[in-house]
Amino acid sequence: MSHTVLPADALRAAHTIRQADIVIGIPSFNNARTIGHVTRAACAGAAKYFPDLKSVIINADGGSTDATAEAVLSARMEDSHLLLVSTPLTGVHRLSFPYHGIPGKGSAFRLIFQMAARLGAKACAVVDSDLRSITPEWFDLLLRPILLANFDFVAPYYHRHKYDGTITNSIVYPLTRALYGLRVRQPIGGEFGVSGRLIRRYLEREDWETDVARYGIDIWMTTIAIAEGYRVCQSFLGAKLHDAKDPGADLSAMLHQVVGSVFALMGEYAPVWSRRTSSVPVDLFGFRYDVGLDSIEVNVGRMLSAFRRGCEELSEVWSKALQPETHAQVRALGRQAAEGAADFHIDDRLWTRVVLDFACAHHHRRVARGHLLPSLTPLYLARVASFVIETRDLISSQVEERIERLCQVFEEEKPYLAGQWTGETAPAPAEASRDEQAALEV
Amino acid sequence: MIETMRLVLESVLERLRFQVTTYLPPLLAAMIILLAAYLTAALARWLLNRLFKGAGVDRFLRRSGLAFLIDSSGRLRATRIVSETAYWLILLAGFLTGLSVFNTNLTSQMTQSFVLLLPKLAVAGLILLTGFWLGHYLGRSALVWAVNESLPSPRRIAVAVRIVILFVAVVAAADHLDFARSVFLAAFIILLSGAALAASLALGLAGRDAAHRYMEDKAAREGEGGSRSLWTHL
Repeated sequence: MSHTVLPADALRAAHTIRQADIVIGIPSFNNARTIGHVTRAACAGAAKYFPDLKSVIINADGGSTDATAEAVLSARMEDSHLLLVSTPLTGVHRLSFPYHGIPGKGSAFRLIFQMAARLGAKACAVVDSDLRSITPEWFDLLLRPILLANFDFVAPYYHRHKYDGTITNSIVYPLTRALYGLRVRQPIGGEFGVSGRLIRRYLEREDWETDVARYGIDIWMTTIAIAEGYRVCQSFLGAKLHDAKDPGADLSAMLHQVVGSVFALMGEYAPVWSRRTSSVPVDLFGFRYDVGLDSIEVNVGRMLSAFRRGCEELSEVWSKALQPETHAQVRALGRQAAEGAADFHIDDRLWTRVVLDFACAHHHRRVARGHLLPSLTPLYLARVASFVIETRDLISSQVEERIERLCQVFEEEKPYLAGQWTGETAPAPAEASRDEQAALEV
Repeated sequence: MIETMRLVLESVLERLRFQVTTYLPPLLAAMIILLAAYLTAALARWLLNRLFKGAGVDRFLRRSGLAFLIDSSGRLRATRIVSETAYWLILLAGFLTGLSVFNTNLTSQMTQSFVLLLPKLAVAGLILLTGFWLGHYLGRSALVWAVNESLPSPRRIAVAVRIVILFVAVVAAADHLDFARSVFLAAFIILLSGAALAASLALGLAGRDAAHRYMEDKAAREGEGGSRSLWTHL
């Protein structure tokens, strides 16, 4: 097991509580405004759906200055008698501790999992602290498949706005599905149910101090569960409505951490994914229904402008990361973007090749990883812009069909990936002509 | 008159004979040594090219980016580095040995100085190589960062970073070799002070306008609801 990161308070609390059946974890940082609602939903969920089990709610806080911890500890269930039919045998414990180490969601999860392991929990659910659409039913949906159907990992399944979760839709879902053969629709959803067995496996690993400590945690958990053969299912949770991201957060860093984790895990699990040739659906629990969603504004012009700048300035990195044919197509797109945004379009196959080439460049270290991942940003923004233009008039089911088509292209391109990945003598990175090389050099 | 001419001619011939008998044998010996060194060096290079694999070093070169830095095609291999190093070292040793055959004050001094300077040269070379690599790495980091932050003239920023780091490496190498130490140090201080002064002036003179423009742009972007729209869909 990885070394203990539990603060003294947590160790004392664990000693006092001794044992728990269910642990509900809520990572937070300055979420006083919303975390009370999430905590109340967790209390109600535990009391209503698991009245005969001992539940503990743990908030792992990253040093909030806005009384987040107080909001957790003071959260009360209003009208609890209206929610509960049966009387819980035990109360729901609520704890709040600061976590130490690298600031990030992953470090918070580590504390929660260590507490869950110490208390011998059979199941653990983790949920974001900025959720506005969370209800007590979410905990039933995340925990019951583990407690009653012996699943190890429950991934969320939401309705999201067509422009929400584009990193999931354009990179993480298609790539994870093509690699590991399971159609987990929201692999970085943020809300998960995990069995005690899988928690112990997570804690055995030594890579907690990497991007996993930050936003890489979600895909890390999902990938390990799938790649190591744990029983995985999904639960339909309705709509995911959450607060706007922290304005101070470096959101482009989030992209790099998530994609960096995906690529790093690809290296570790290459023997697993290289054997899988197709994908299968995953069990989905919960009654599906349509919901209203917050609209999301996107600025296509600015995205294309970022892409154009990338084409002008980052060719020296892209020429090493991308195969010559892919790079040539990207440069042609750059010229197209400069001419006008109206009909800008990135073909699914080209986008797939871009992602796969980056994965191989990451694996073969054709470019320093510190340069490679940030240089993906303009390409990613171009893909989002293309997606927005393409789906502007489509309804959500049609958008889902578009994403399904992209996933199929990722699966079709897997032999290409395998060819690039294997062999130390992977095809040399794009060799620009001498004139081009001179132009590319800063 | 004729007698004087004869004496002069005799003395010249005597001096020539002396010089030939003094320097020709060592010169021949030096040439033979140099030839032997060249043949040994070529043989060593040929053997190393065939025997040495160096896969681990190749991996390090590729991963650290040194392979691309030294040879832009990225095809630099450890085998080539080792064989070329051995070749030039043997050739250099042959040259110095050949030089020492003359056994004069000048050649002894030259050999001694060169041997003493060699470690310093190697360290200075290492400093320059490190500076070059670091400048390249941080320059590219600055380039990618500037592009993602939409800063103006990302290439100029990258070039500036590279030049500053390379200049620091040159100053450090020159300092290590005791070569024009004060000149490089003075140049470095002048450059640094100049940059600081220029930055202060630019900030002082243009800061107000820039801040004004920035605030206006920010207000305008917020007005159209697009300040963070690049990322809110994550």
